[in-house]
Amino acid sequence: MGILTDLRSSISRATSSLFTGGEPKRIGIYGPPNAGKTTLANRIARDWTGDAVGPESHVPHETRRARRKENVEIKRNGKSVTIDVVDTPGVTTKVDYKEFLEHDIEKEDAVRRSREATEGVAEAMHWLREDVDGVIYVLDATEDPFTQVNTMLVGIIESQDLPVLIFANKIDLDEASVQRVSNAFPQHETVPLSALEGDNMDEVYDKIAEYFG
Amino acid sequence: MPHQCTGCGEVFEDGSKEMLSGCPECGGNTFQFRPKGADLPNDPDPPDPDVDDTGSDPDDPDPSGPDGDELPDRDDGAVAGTVGRATTRVRDFVSPSGEPDPNATWPSEASGATAAEPATDDGEIIDADARRDDAGVDEDDAQASARTGLASREDVRDVGEPRTGPAGSEPAESGPSGSGWTGDTGAGSDGAADGRSDRPPAGEGDQVVSDPDDEDPDLTELREQLNDQFESIKIVEPGEYELNLMELYEREEYIIALQENGRYVIQVPDQWIGSDFDDR
Repeated sequence: MGILTDLRSSISRATSSLFTGGEPKRIGIYGPPNAGKTTLANRIARDWTGDAVGPESHVPHETRRARRKENVEIKRNGKSVTIDVVDTPGVTTKVDYKEFLEHDIEKEDAVRRSREATEGVAEAMHWLREDVDGVIYVLDATEDPFTQVNTMLVGIIESQDLPVLIFANKIDLDEASVQRVSNAFPQHETVPLSALEGDNMDEVYDKIAEYFG
Repeated sequence: MPHQCTGCGEVFEDGSKEMLSGCPECGGNTFQFRPKGADLPNDPDPPDPDVDDTGSDPDDPDPSGPDGDELPDRDDGAVAGTVGRATTRVRDFVSPSGEPDPNATWPSEASGATAAEPATDDGEIIDADARRDDAGVDEDDAQASARTGLASREDVRDVGEPRTGPAGSEPAESGPSGSGWTGDTGAGSDGAADGRSDRPPAGEGDQVVSDPDDEDPDLTELREQLNDQFESIKIVEPGEYELNLMELYEREEYIIALQENGRYVIQVPDQWIGSDFDDR
């Protein structure tokens, strides 16, 4: 990250704080691949700024670089909170170009995607260490949440004493089990939602304001 | 207490053959290494007898052994508890201060999977990472021997394990099913191996993987393979990568681009310029 970027970030934060009375928190959206992180980031950004963050896809690792949407002002209960939303690549311990081949991607492109996805995971982990003030951890509620990656990441987040919300996404699907997600991380608040359909977004914003405001 | 199953907390003697085919207690295939020589503020002398309760079962190479019925049911409550405890351990693991949390629980404490498990184990686990560099200094003779030598063939035979032939040049990844450190395909096991159990063993792990079925394993080669596993990103082949999340998280430098030839570009943090610049 260059000096100019840092400077710009600092200026935008200072400018924002003039209006909101507080520095915007940088909220990282983390989770495994295909949990719906970008869909959520886009939903939040569109709802409050009108812009999207990045392309959504069923292909895993579509997001291979962290993307940021700054100064997302969320108004709740007469107050407003301003956050920077950081959409991160899905975190995993293994990236294999062959999984892209299943999505009709040519091998050369698949290998490149795989390499970029790996770089993206490294970037996401680096951001987690240094650049986020809070975390929205997005899980696909139709998938088993009891994975080592989830456990490890939540553990790291806790070690940083970062505020964290667990989002059980894709509740519009029949197989979704919010209970299973909340059972996996009973120490944290689990918020059910469908970022795609916009289900339960009121509670989502309530919680974001409550936790990160 | 050199090795401990990250799933159920079962303890294995250094060089134990049982764990090579997975934890007999829970079937898990990720283990936490804890050098014996690393003393702890709150646990100065790990009890040696621990190793006996697991290491003295050489006639039962079956991973589902006599205690296998203690495999916890995968009902939500039990698993949630396990995950919670594991999370606690991860948090302790990455705690910046490296200060062991005396209240941290270890899976075996609550699950009761291991009868003779002392409550002091949590300290050991936490310390394994922080003190891995010191491990070689205070180790006793047995540990030193384990680090530098291979188990004798008699030892291996005593266990009664089937000798399924040489594992060739890649015993670390082509060993008995269920024994893989990071070679297995299960995402869950990879996560554990990458993030937690891999780091502490560093050089010591060779004893573990060299034990199994090799006729004449090349120790140097094994070491190299194991060292490879502890890098933050392992290039299995072009387009296929294994990531050590904990390493990536803990690195100060930032990998921004991988090259085809296995090299990668990093962004060096400002602190590396010199000690005077560490106020960033």
